Amino acid sequence: MFSIRRWCLLALSVASLLCADAKSSTGDSVLVVVDPKNQDQYSTFFEGLKDGGYDLTFRSPKAEGPVVIEDDAPNFAHVILLAPEARNLGKDITPQSIVQLLSRKTNVIVALPTKQSPLHSLAAEFSLILPPPNTPLISYFPKRDTPSTLIPIKIEDHSSPALTKHIEPVWFSGIPASLGSNPLLVPILRAPSESFASETTVTSGSADAVADSVERGGEGLWAGSSLSLVTGFQATNGARITFVGGAEIFSDELAQKETERHRQSGNAAFSREVAAWTFQENLVLRIDKVEHHPVNATEPNEQYTNNDQVVFSTYISKWNPTKGKWEPYSGLKDLQLEFTMLDPFIRTSLPPVRGAPGKYSTSFRAPDRHGVFKFVVDYKRKGWTSLESSTTVPVVPPRHDGYPRFLSAAWPYYTGAISTSVAFFLFSTIWLAGEVNERKRSKGSKAE
Amino acid sequence: MKSLFYFLALCLGLAYAQKIGQKELIERAAAGNGVIALDAETFDALTSQKRTWSATIQFTALAANRGCMPCKQFDPAFNSVAKAWSTVSADKRELHFFATLDFDKAPTVFQKLGLASAPVVFAYPATEGPRKTGRTAPTKYDFQDGFDAAPLAQHLSKLTPIPIPYRDPIDWAKHIMTAGAIIGSGILLRAVAPILLTRWTWAFAGVILSLVMTSGYMFTRIRHSPYTGKDGSWIAGGFTNQYGQEVHVIAFVYGLLGLAFIMLTVVVPMQTSAAKQRMQIYLWTAVIMIIYSVLVSLFRVKNRAYPYRLFI
Amino acid sequence: MPSLAYPVPTDLSPATVKNTASLFRIVTLALISGAAIASRLFSIINFESVIHEFDPWFNYRATRVLASKGFYEFWNWFDPTAWYPLGRVVGGTVYPGLMATSGVIYYLLQALNLPVDIRNICVLLAPGFSAFTAWATYMFTKEMKDESAGLLAAAFIGIAPGYISRSVAGSYDNEAIAIFLLMFTFYLWIKALKLGSALYGTIAAVFYFYMVAAWGGYVFITNMIPVHALVLIFMGRFSHRLYVAYCSWYAIGTLSSMQVPFVGFQPVSTSEHMGALGVFGLLQLVAFANLVRSHVSSQNFQKLLRIAVVAIGALGASAFVFLTYTGKIAPWTGRFYSLWDTGYAKKYIPIIASVSEHQPTAWPSFFMDLQMLMFLFPAGVILCFRELRDEHLFVIIYAVLSSYFAGVMVRLMLTLTPVVCVSAAIALSSLLDVYLNPVEPDEEQDAVAQPAKSGPADAAPSTASSKSTSSTRGIFGIDTRLVVVFNTLWMLSFFVFHCTYVTSTAYSSPSVVLASQGQDGSQHIIDDFREAYYWLRQNTEEDAVVMSWWDYGYQIAGMADRPTLVDNNTWNNTHIATVGKAMSSSEENAYPILRKHDVEYVLVIFGGLIGYSGDDINKFLWMVRIAQGVWPDEIQESNYFTPRGEYRVDENASKTMKESLMYKMSYYRFADLFGGNQAVDRVRNQHAPKNIELGLPRRGVHVRKLDRPYLPSQERGHARAGSEERERL
Repeated sequence: MFSIRRWCLLALSVASLLCADAKSSTGDSVLVVVDPKNQDQYSTFFEGLKDGGYDLTFRSPKAEGPVVIEDDAPNFAHVILLAPEARNLGKDITPQSIVQLLSRKTNVIVALPTKQSPLHSLAAEFSLILPPPNTPLISYFPKRDTPSTLIPIKIEDHSSPALTKHIEPVWFSGIPASLGSNPLLVPILRAPSESFASETTVTSGSADAVADSVERGGEGLWAGSSLSLVTGFQATNGARITFVGGAEIFSDELAQKETERHRQSGNAAFSREVAAWTFQENLVLRIDKVEHHPVNATEPNEQYTNNDQVVFSTYISKWNPTKGKWEPYSGLKDLQLEFTMLDPFIRTSLPPVRGAPGKYSTSFRAPDRHGVFKFVVDYKRKGWTSLESSTTVPVVPPRHDGYPRFLSAAWPYYTGAISTSVAFFLFSTIWLAGEVNERKRSKGSKAE
Repeated sequence: MKSLFYFLALCLGLAYAQKIGQKELIERAAAGNGVIALDAETFDALTSQKRTWSATIQFTALAANRGCMPCKQFDPAFNSVAKAWSTVSADKRELHFFATLDFDKAPTVFQKLGLASAPVVFAYPATEGPRKTGRTAPTKYDFQDGFDAAPLAQHLSKLTPIPIPYRDPIDWAKHIMTAGAIIGSGILLRAVAPILLTRWTWAFAGVILSLVMTSGYMFTRIRHSPYTGKDGSWIAGGFTNQYGQEVHVIAFVYGLLGLAFIMLTVVVPMQTSAAKQRMQIYLWTAVIMIIYSVLVSLFRVKNRAYPYRLFI
Repeated sequence: MPSLAYPVPTDLSPATVKNTASLFRIVTLALISGAAIASRLFSIINFESVIHEFDPWFNYRATRVLASKGFYEFWNWFDPTAWYPLGRVVGGTVYPGLMATSGVIYYLLQALNLPVDIRNICVLLAPGFSAFTAWATYMFTKEMKDESAGLLAAAFIGIAPGYISRSVAGSYDNEAIAIFLLMFTFYLWIKALKLGSALYGTIAAVFYFYMVAAWGGYVFITNMIPVHALVLIFMGRFSHRLYVAYCSWYAIGTLSSMQVPFVGFQPVSTSEHMGALGVFGLLQLVAFANLVRSHVSSQNFQKLLRIAVVAIGALGASAFVFLTYTGKIAPWTGRFYSLWDTGYAKKYIPIIASVSEHQPTAWPSFFMDLQMLMFLFPAGVILCFRELRDEHLFVIIYAVLSSYFAGVMVRLMLTLTPVVCVSAAIALSSLLDVYLNPVEPDEEQDAVAQPAKSGPADAAPSTASSKSTSSTRGIFGIDTRLVVVFNTLWMLSFFVFHCTYVTSTAYSSPSVVLASQGQDGSQHIIDDFREAYYWLRQNTEEDAVVMSWWDYGYQIAGMADRPTLVDNNTWNNTHIATVGKAMSSSEENAYPILRKHDVEYVLVIFGGLIGYSGDDINKFLWMVRIAQGVWPDEIQESNYFTPRGEYRVDENASKTMKESLMYKMSYYRFADLFGGNQAVDRVRNQHAPKNIELGLPRRGVHVRKLDRPYLPSQERGHARAGSEERERL
């Protein structure tokens, strides 16, 4: 027993050591909006971030500053809203301004309150359907001595693309969310299948109570593993926002609490993982450059001719959070290239090139259709930064002298032209030579 | 006792109304030569929210006292399209119905649909079954191409499971007339060949054609402008507009002026009496001056900004 | 010695008279050219040296490419910015004659060390060529009657508004050179026919080739000459002169016209050109029959021959019908077909019907463009019938055909104008011949002369015959002569005043720059179009795609230099309908279309504030109609009307209308301009709506000048930064 625990601690410390060097790809400044009274509750989480090289600035929900957006530019690279109970988060932090933050590529972690608050309407903007106020997640399994709203949740490996390592079961307390069909959502932590959302006054757990809450909830049954507790959302510009069902998941208390049989909970590691994904440490890709050129050439053509053989390559890097720099990445196996004009004319796989890290290349024949085409690389996978690249290039018909000069099919016409010319020449010669005779004969015939 | 009877009748009526299903509709359509004559009840049945069939309904007012001329014009076309539909095979035919709703039979339906004019044709798509389109609201057929059957059939064919096999009936009378006219004109041609062979026939025809064309005849043809205005005026206001009568007037004015010039050039010099010739010359010159002035003043009516005027 | 009405100097030698007359002719022609050029310069004087309207902007842009890159690059030019993303193979879809002409002039001037800007060459090309047109008309009419009629015709065409409307300075369009080529080709054809000369026939073919390279209206020549030849054959006027002239013209002309890439194999594969081919075949048949007949004398054989010719002709015609039916020969294109079946275009090709110059012509337009020539024209046609030589037949056929065409389409007034000028000149010069002739007839001979006359048909043209023979016909007295001559002079001077007035007021507006007159008669120049285009040029990325209705495509390409979805080269109906659909759909439906076509800006022209009636809301129904033609299920014209069938833009507008992108963009923030007062749309005289919400991301510009603003809302269509806003849209 003991050895297992020790091993776990070791693993944790190794992980935290690794984390110590982790760096975000977008910046280090973090604004944490948290009630000063509660600030100490989350010290493990904050320390973890500080070890990761982040520069934390704390702000009380009641304080006026520092402001998040100044002169239309964001002041921080990341924002954590850890004050769920606060009625107001400050003048400059409204659902609208959070959307603006995202569109200016600032990453946000939002802890949702159980009570009604402006953050509810914010979540709704992101296709998160929250239960009615004051209906936290409840589970009576497994049997334990904690309240039914504090739930231990096992995390399967690879259960979410955002979680890259093995994580011990975590404690959760808060509200779930049902997810809309938005493809940009990345569920990070699912609710256990035995859990459901209900009003806290119902403690008996009877079937009636469940039915009752269903009726009052009005939005169907809030239950089961389709509910998401921690949900990420990656905007089309790459900015990430994570909604956490309850702030307690980051707290020191739950981080140190044992889940079962003296196993320390995975909350600390989980919090760090959530922050790592949200702050764009993990699963961050970018296209360094794209290039295209005809086969047997190195310089790109300004325009291609129909049926040209074209080579297209792209260079992709992945952010390495430990080293804090971009590294060529050849790990994508399902990258595709489209050659489109309104619709894709060619869709082909773009495989990595061996021996050239980060390079993906393919070659194809330009379609027999002129127009303005685009090389489109559009790689969207849950959790990963979406890769989009579009390069416009016209495909033109051959030049007037680019067609074959002599066609074997046209021989009848050539023969016709040549024979007519020859015949004309012969005719003229004979006509001119025989003119005198002709006259005489015609005169003769007339005389007759 | 009486009230009970009424109640029963009402129940029966309701039950009957509920019962009108596809089968009933099929029978009624067969009875009506492909067209169901609707009343308020059958209308509701035909356009029920859950219908696996589509329907085309003509809203009309055929009663004589309504005096709806377009209705009477359009009704045969609608019926002939419906008749064409009744010739397709049963499994397809039963998926689309043609129906007519007369205003006098169900004014309430007209009120409900907010129809203030007739004829109107609504096409109801199927809302259930394999031919469901996702739309429930009917589409209105606009009489863009007139009251003819062919465009109606073409338009409705988008809605029906297979295109309506409508063909314009062969107008034998017209064909015989045309053939007769060709033969007749052939005979006539032989008779009038000497006239045709003189150049002046051709000159006359050519000049008349040019005059008519340059007087805006094609404009009135293409734009269907009326012969005169509603208030009896024969000259339309506006530079790019004209009535039918203007063609006549302008062609006449042009023709008269042209004739005056021809007279002065060709006929007058042949006059051998000096006095008569002088009179003719003055006459035709005066004609030119006056008619030209009239023409310019006509143009001033059309183009108010025109700054010049002659004697008038 | 006949008696004279007025004294004529008698001591002049014939040579002196001849030389003086030709000197006068040259001077007069020079003056006519000067007048023709000068009267086309109103637009430069009133506005500035600027390219006009829509199509000329494309021609100008293409000419610049030609001038800077040379002819071969121009020939191979693929324009990726037009019809985005389809692109346009300009070299193969353009009549290069106009650009080549300006290019040659440009290079010539450069070679002479005259550094003239290509723009000025383009602007002044049309006035320059109008002088050539006057000369060509002179030559043509000279063949019809004589030099004096030629001079009159040259003067008429020099200043007739019907031709000026397409050839003012800045109107850099194909028609600018095409009318000269038309008249000159006709002249050469008449000359070839008269002389039976293969040389003239070949020159006619060369100019025909130039015409083919310059204007799509070459089809008029392609059909006019065969019809003339056909009528001559039917009238029994077949001659070897006709055979030589026609065959040399057709063979060389057709082969050379096929060298123009845009024409390609059309001369042997489309219906428009089949008439010329058929007449060519018929001529061979008739010539062969004639040849055989001259060698074989048997009556029966000749009868057989005639039947054979008719049978072969009928066979050929039915083969043509069969080939058309099976699709081997392309049927008449819509544009030509709509000339015969006038309802066709509106029903099937709304794009053609929507163009204002394809509308039928009302009589005031005829009178405006040709004034007194309009009634001299039938007189001239009758005088042609009087003589009826081969070339007169040409004028007659031309007159009848083109007066029909001009009645159907306003723009074909252009082809009517030359024949009206020619024919009016014949009429007027015949009149003047009679009344300026000093010879008086003898009154005594009346009784003798009258029975000798057999009819008007053999009455030779007055002057020549009456001079030589005894003068039995003519005009008595001097007062009669003076009355007619003064009347004519008065009419001619009125004609000049009319032409000057019409040219200066109606036909000299560049339409990219608008002029309005204030209450006090002062002129305001409204230059908002160019301002909007320059805004695009200055403020947008170079590859930002601009969507607008097709009218503005060429101007956006020319002035703003941005890719456009559709332009005035309306070759792809579906693409235009796509734009129409985007404009007439709600934002939700329009946005995917805009994204698919990479549209970043949408340009709409709104004239509700200054009362500019040619704006997009007034054109909107055509967009709807064209879109309906392709997507009848999604777009329905009736949805854009109120239930009472009205086209409204105020609060009563139909729901579909209010939701359409065009409507929203036109009235977006329009009410703000009125500062709380009721906003009024001055074009439609209706109250404008308030509170228009526009969901599309926008980076708008409202080009606005003091008191006459106009409002092109250029909307940013896909800023990349957006997140969920985009999804909800």
